[in-house]
Amino acid sequence: MKEIVRFSHVSMQFPGTLANDDISLSIYEGEVFALVGENGAGKSTLMNLLYGLHQPTLGEIHISGLPTAPVHSPEKAMRMGVSMVHQHFKLVPSFTVAQNILLGHEPKKWGLFYDEKAANETVRQLSETYGLEVNPTDVVRDLSIGLQQRVEILKALRTGAKVLILDEPTAVLTAQETEELFAVIRRIVKEKNMTVIMITHRLPEVMQISDRVGVMRRGRMIDVLRTRDTSEQGISSLMVGRDVIFDDLRTEQESGEEKLVIRGLMANNDRMLPALRGVSLSVHAGEIVGVCGVEGNGQTELSECIMGMRPQTGGSVILNGKDISRLSPRKIREMGVSFIPEDRLSTGVDQKSSIEENLALGKHRTRDFSLLGIHLRRGKVKQYAKQLEKQFDIRCAGVDEPVQSLSGGNVQKVVIAREFSFDTPVLVICQPTRGVDIGAIEFIHERIIEKRNEGCAILLISADLDELFRLSDTLVTLYDGNITGRFKAGEITMEEIGFYMLGAKVQEGGSHE
Amino acid sequence: MNNSLMQTLRALVRLKPSKKLERDYLVSLVIAVALAFVVGAGILLICGHNPIACYASLFKGALGTKRAFANTLAKTMTLALCGLAMSVAAKAGMFNVGGEGQLYFGAMAAAIVGAYVKGLPGWAVTLLALLAAVAAGGLFALLPGWLKVQWKVDEVITTIMLNTAAIYFCTYLANGPLKTTEKGIAQGTASIMKEASLQKLVPLSNLTTGIFYAAVAALLIWYLMSRSTTGFEMKLTGNNDRFALYGGVSTKKLMLWSMVLSGMLCGLVGMLETFGLHGRFIVSVSNEFYFDGMLVAMIMRYNPLGTMLMSFFFAILNIGGRAMERSAGIPSELILIVQSVIIFFMAAEGGIRTSLKNRAAVRKARREAARKEAV
Amino acid sequence: MGEIFNVLLLQTTLRSATPVVLAAMGCLLTQHVNMTNIGIDGMMLIGAFFAVLGSYFFGSWAAGLGLAILCGILLGLFYYVFVIKFGSDEFIIGVALNIFAGGLTVFLLRTVFQVKGAFSDPALVPLPTIHLPLIRHIPVLGQLLSGHTLLVYVSWALVLILWAFIYKTPAGVHLRASGEYPAALTACGKSPEKMKCFASVACGILACVAGAHLSLGYLTMFAENMSASRGYVAFACVIFGRGNPLIVFLAALLFGFIDALGLRLQNYIPSDLTAMAPYLVTVVMMVVVVLWERRKKKS
Repeated sequence: MKEIVRFSHVSMQFPGTLANDDISLSIYEGEVFALVGENGAGKSTLMNLLYGLHQPTLGEIHISGLPTAPVHSPEKAMRMGVSMVHQHFKLVPSFTVAQNILLGHEPKKWGLFYDEKAANETVRQLSETYGLEVNPTDVVRDLSIGLQQRVEILKALRTGAKVLILDEPTAVLTAQETEELFAVIRRIVKEKNMTVIMITHRLPEVMQISDRVGVMRRGRMIDVLRTRDTSEQGISSLMVGRDVIFDDLRTEQESGEEKLVIRGLMANNDRMLPALRGVSLSVHAGEIVGVCGVEGNGQTELSECIMGMRPQTGGSVILNGKDISRLSPRKIREMGVSFIPEDRLSTGVDQKSSIEENLALGKHRTRDFSLLGIHLRRGKVKQYAKQLEKQFDIRCAGVDEPVQSLSGGNVQKVVIAREFSFDTPVLVICQPTRGVDIGAIEFIHERIIEKRNEGCAILLISADLDELFRLSDTLVTLYDGNITGRFKAGEITMEEIGFYMLGAKVQEGGSHE
Repeated sequence: MNNSLMQTLRALVRLKPSKKLERDYLVSLVIAVALAFVVGAGILLICGHNPIACYASLFKGALGTKRAFANTLAKTMTLALCGLAMSVAAKAGMFNVGGEGQLYFGAMAAAIVGAYVKGLPGWAVTLLALLAAVAAGGLFALLPGWLKVQWKVDEVITTIMLNTAAIYFCTYLANGPLKTTEKGIAQGTASIMKEASLQKLVPLSNLTTGIFYAAVAALLIWYLMSRSTTGFEMKLTGNNDRFALYGGVSTKKLMLWSMVLSGMLCGLVGMLETFGLHGRFIVSVSNEFYFDGMLVAMIMRYNPLGTMLMSFFFAILNIGGRAMERSAGIPSELILIVQSVIIFFMAAEGGIRTSLKNRAAVRKARREAARKEAV
Repeated sequence: MGEIFNVLLLQTTLRSATPVVLAAMGCLLTQHVNMTNIGIDGMMLIGAFFAVLGSYFFGSWAAGLGLAILCGILLGLFYYVFVIKFGSDEFIIGVALNIFAGGLTVFLLRTVFQVKGAFSDPALVPLPTIHLPLIRHIPVLGQLLSGHTLLVYVSWALVLILWAFIYKTPAGVHLRASGEYPAALTACGKSPEKMKCFASVACGILACVAGAHLSLGYLTMFAENMSASRGYVAFACVIFGRGNPLIVFLAALLFGFIDALGLRLQNYIPSDLTAMAPYLVTVVMMVVVVLWERRKKKS
């Protein structure tokens, strides 16, 4: 087999993180190579280096034996035969398939006009050559996501690429569309002797489609295996297998009554496709329920549904025996739920406003901070903010500074300080420590445990397994909008839970508990 | 209860600008004003005038006599109310460009009440007209506001369209069914009840007791925007409505109300013009007053106090410009040019500053590279 | 009724629609690159003034038109630099441009021509009137289509040219892509900014030419504020026609027709009421479009 891509000792240093650490890897002509790893393992960075979106800090990349150095760029990558299909398609919605595929390279008629016939013919031929069926005259806006992806793939193949990179191609697809995509991949590999590199999270798919699989963890290439020589369990262990760095903070505690109950919750994502397919779970007082899962399996939608910021299409959310399914965030808060949202910069804070204002939201109409709910007592707000600044160790030049002047960890402390000080009986916490430095992580974890010990019912949604194992009393796994397992802490290992997170195993009766 | 009342009073006494405009921005503003005056001076020189003498006559014409000063104050009032109307909506993320139409509706409503309500004492008619004008302006703003909140129909375009429609509609009323039958009056509706019209504070000037109504309204708006809990919610909604919603603010309701409030203020302006100056509805009740006020508000980034101060400055230019025209024969439109230079510069202020910074950085990098090479 | 609905009515329609058509053609280009230019009214006014200035001082309509086009290029560049390069709020720039134009033209009118209100002079050379060779002899059609000024025919040609350009040429495809999804254009190595600059300048030129038609074609004079919100009507037409030159043209004709009809119906319906129609129709259209798209998304 001929080598087509070679990484030799490639490292990529971003400010603060080493995204790729001394990676050496060869990829051969005519194979499907799956790249797996947890979020932040460095898969996308590695592929962006190959596609020329970044320059490696150290090491060399060769395509078909030629070096990409000194300056690599997407245009150069395309010339060298490497194309990439991103997760977010770069298609103009109101254009036809042919217009999109040939954008920037339109055939001309009489030297001036866009030759629609020729364009459609070119695309038809392209589509036949690769066996990717599309109708050149369809408008992209009206196509399903699967077909849009096909257009994007054809666009990538138009230049005669030899290597095709697919970044999580199945994340947005239905099962049927995934099948079709795989048929396409098999065909272009077999008939055109192309190479496909696929970034993915889903192990069943890896087993189904790939010839070899590379497992990444924390920027390093842990192992490269022949798919037929391994199993889902084998890959999963490699992906998540590691020691827990933190010590256990929990103390034994009897959990109390049921506080938050979710029954058969269904909701759509932003693309109006089902994201939650009947999720049921319950959280008791003094209990932390951790939701494990690879991102994009419904976590975002789950938290937004509980917050009242996303319409649900079925099921219910019950708080203390009362249905809160169709209430506004304001009402839900009044009934005793606080939230730490996942996208803290766009939902968790207003970056332009000051720290004190961010801390005051939600309490500004209470007796402590207003007169008759009308006059805002800024003096009191400031005093209170200063108190929280100390209590939650927010490092800032002053509480009247805008939030955008803070570091990521301190922004999160602002959110946590505000939400924790509502003292509600139920807390929903999403990705509490993403992008937060180690010191702050420790601090935030301690606060969460403190809340639990006070008898708070906490739903913790996180992509970080260490965090979930460290904090949760109960773990549930979310895969493709379904709950695939429910475990008591200590009942299950990280390796084992990986099977449930990645869809390799489903607990008996797990999805309709 | 008594205690909290005392606290309110004490809090009110400690008036302090809630949020200082950034220092950089004020520096830019000063530069912009200076630049605009230089541009104006250049034009004057080309036309063969002495700029210093002209500017002197401008300021004298706006502030020199009691009557001039009164006129400047009256103009400030109009600009400031329009500016506050823009600010109060924009703060919550609604761009009300339709103030001109709301102003016309307010003026028309007030004129109708003033002319056709009989048998009430003057003050009652004034009050009734005030309420009618405010209601008319508010209701007319409700439509685009509701379309925006409910269906996300772009409020900028709908308000622009409704502006012109409203002006034509009022023109139709004034030239048609409500046209005055008085002799010697060419246009406008029937004149309002004499006793109900606003009293002049300075004879032969435009300054009337309307300024007190305006002052109360401005104070309320200022309080609402920079001191109240609702103002706090408005600010957060305008900055980041997702955050506000998540934090428990009823953002839709708030946005709708801020739009209505904006329309109410415009209606008030219409009423003050009608009852203070014209004594009837006339088609030229406003000469794009709202657009002037809107720009003032935009320059001051919707800060209520800043808007009021800037309105005073623009009023000086406006009134002084007319005086300059009378005394030196320079067309007062020069002032519009000066004003628009200020606006252009302030709108681009952020971009200009970044591009200057970038250029300085590039220059610095080049210099350093050169130094390295030399070593 | 015969005296209301006759050929003259249609002729007036064509005449009064032309400035709106020209301005709307410019506006729709900026709309396609996702810029909302509401400064068209001001651009028209400046174009109208400088066309008169050129025609008067050089004694030629071509000089007037040329000066207007030059103004258009400068204004378009100005708009592009402020909105795209400096990232200013296009809305502030648009409104300020309208105010600036009002101030500048009146100021110049008074200092250069020493008159107030309006300027007209026998020395002003209007745009030439063109009599179409064969058509002029056909009874109704000749009366309708022949004998208009140059820019009327230019505007008709422009509608077709722009339609072909926007929908039938590669450059037009890029233009629309740069407005709808610039990242797609960047991904294939083309610059969306260039398209925006082109659209902005073309819009400036067309708006100023529309102004020139107003002051040298429709009338032969310059009057203060003579654009009379036609820029906003043009804008309304573009929103109404959703950027398609043919529909925008029809919308402009419809608005012109309402305008012309309103004048003739004065004895039956006040013209102020008929003048409201275009604006209200546009608002209704916007609501209908939004509701229609919502329904489509749901299904």
